[in-house]
Amino acid sequence: MFNNIFKKQRYYFDSEGLLVVDMAPSSAVHYQEAVKAATQDAGFAGEDMVINFGPQHPSTHGVLRLEVVLEGELVKKVTPHLGYLHRNFEKHAEHIPYNEIVPYTDRLDYLAAMNMNWGYVLAVEKLLGLTELPERVEYIRVICAEFNRIASHLMAIGTFGLDAGAITPFLWAFRDREKILDLFEWLSGARMLYNYIWVGGVARDLPDGWVEKAREFLDYFEPMMVEFNKLLTHNHIFIERTAHVGILPADVAINYAATGPVLRGSGVKWDLRRDEPYSIYDRFEFDIPVGEGMYGPVGSAFDRYWVRIREIEESVKILRQALDQIPEGDVFEAIPRKIRPPAGKEAYFRSEAPRGEIGFYIRSNGSDIPDRVKCRSSCFVNISLIDEISRGQLVADLIINIGSIDIVLGEVDR
Amino acid sequence: MRTYFRNVYRGLITILIGMRQTWRHLFTPSVTLQYPHEKWDLPVGTRQQLFVNIDDCIGCYKCARICPVDCIYIDTVKAKPDEDLGKASTGNPIRQHLVRFDIDMFKCCYCNFCTTVCPTDCIYMTDKYETSVYDRSNGIYHFSKYAPDYAAKLIAEEKAAEEAKAAARAAAKEKAMAAKKAKVAE
Ligand code: SF4
Ligand code: SF4
Repeated sequence: MFNNIFKKQRYYFDSEGLLVVDMAPSSAVHYQEAVKAATQDAGFAGEDMVINFGPQHPSTHGVLRLEVVLEGELVKKVTPHLGYLHRNFEKHAEHIPYNEIVPYTDRLDYLAAMNMNWGYVLAVEKLLGLTELPERVEYIRVICAEFNRIASHLMAIGTFGLDAGAITPFLWAFRDREKILDLFEWLSGARMLYNYIWVGGVARDLPDGWVEKAREFLDYFEPMMVEFNKLLTHNHIFIERTAHVGILPADVAINYAATGPVLRGSGVKWDLRRDEPYSIYDRFEFDIPVGEGMYGPVGSAFDRYWVRIREIEESVKILRQALDQIPEGDVFEAIPRKIRPPAGKEAYFRSEAPRGEIGFYIRSNGSDIPDRVKCRSSCFVNISLIDEISRGQLVADLIINIGSIDIVLGEVDR
Repeated sequence: MRTYFRNVYRGLITILIGMRQTWRHLFTPSVTLQYPHEKWDLPVGTRQQLFVNIDDCIGCYKCARICPVDCIYIDTVKAKPDEDLGKASTGNPIRQHLVRFDIDMFKCCYCNFCTTVCPTDCIYMTDKYETSVYDRSNGIYHFSKYAPDYAAKLIAEEKAAEEAKAAARAAAKEKAMAAKKAKVAE
């Protein structure tokens, strides 16, 4: 076995006739070429195999079923099959009043429920023409959204490491995410499904000492992120594993209407918080990180991961500014007593959730129940890229690709 | 070949850097608890199992109406004019018998809407969360203090009273009709 490493030939058959591929120049690209050459030489080509991947597979991040057409170990086609978590959000929303829909939006992207609440509430506020909100409400909303972005990205990078075979970073990411959830539990009473951001305000004011505790967490968290990077991000094996797979060129990403870290990983600087600043995001200083292609082509799985790491740092920056500037005030004064927009009015609002743009289209019919609610989900759009970025790669890279897109099935299926 | 050794070297070094981090963490206090034996303290205002202090409930239906999943079931019987049911601790007079107040905790989504609208703050969330049961019907909590037969009696009385009222109304109507007819005939 060891002798073969230095031979020119990149594959051979061992004594039992099994195919063994050398990892000699140990990069994923060479490995793929070797497998391709080997499967063709050995006459494996032409025999397609269809396997069902999921819906109960732990690395599909939920109940996602992928129908994968394989040629040997190469992926020829991936078709995602959705709907296992369908809860009929849009139709259901046509039967309940505006304010009662908020708990249902929690269940869209349950890893970033604050951002979902906020996206929906912003659309209703646009419909009502409610633009002047108390300063304190705006600050609380930004703080919650950014904390939730950190929690959601921690989950994304932790499970991405797990997909690549690293268990410790996953546990560390969860340990820090747990601290954010503790803060949220103190604030809203719930750990994941908050129902916290309401039309015109928030459900509760910040408890005494919450701001100090939040600052304490940030002080604790920043060194932890450095450790996390040492452990996983700069690990050479991890880089080699991810920096050459799942290449998504910028034009393809734009054609597919991908948003969020998936788009920014391909080098497109597009973030609604900067390009269409809603709420008070124009007051804060932060960068929009994009994929740089440090270790391979731009738009690889590693770039999407790297964008998330950098976004966590930027969120910490926003949080520090917001926690310093938060004014006193009444958070309940702008909550309308009756939400009854005039008939026939419609509004669409999009905002930047951790996984991309979340947009809500609402049409009113004059009563306190909406006529139509449409949710534009970023994960639903992003998952359609899975075929584009996995075609021609190995089946093991498919796992990495799903992890790098970072989908939440609650939002895909709605 | 040089790439190969460089990759091996880098792989080893970066793993050692990571190992140093994990090694250091071996000596930090653990962040987990042995759950059934130890538990985390829950903060004030945590949202778990619902509870209704039925003595304070005035039967206003506000909680049942705002519940997004419709999991609160309330039936009331109006008190008779000479009956005094007292007052809630907030001073709101109680004017109805709450013959049924059930909450289906399996349907509840713990959204906290019902507790925010209650005028007497008698429905609230406790910090009890270990509420798994073997049978689905055990997840429906009954808060009404009326015994089933007494509740049935109250409902029957109200029904009878209503029927009597309806009959009286019908009779009055007939009488008016007859008077009208007589007038027209004249
Ligand atoms: S918490 Fe929400 S779902 Fe549960 S009973 Fe109250 S209003 Fe209904
Ligand atoms: S809102 Fe409060 S007082 Fe009114 S019916 Fe519900 S529990 Fe009773």
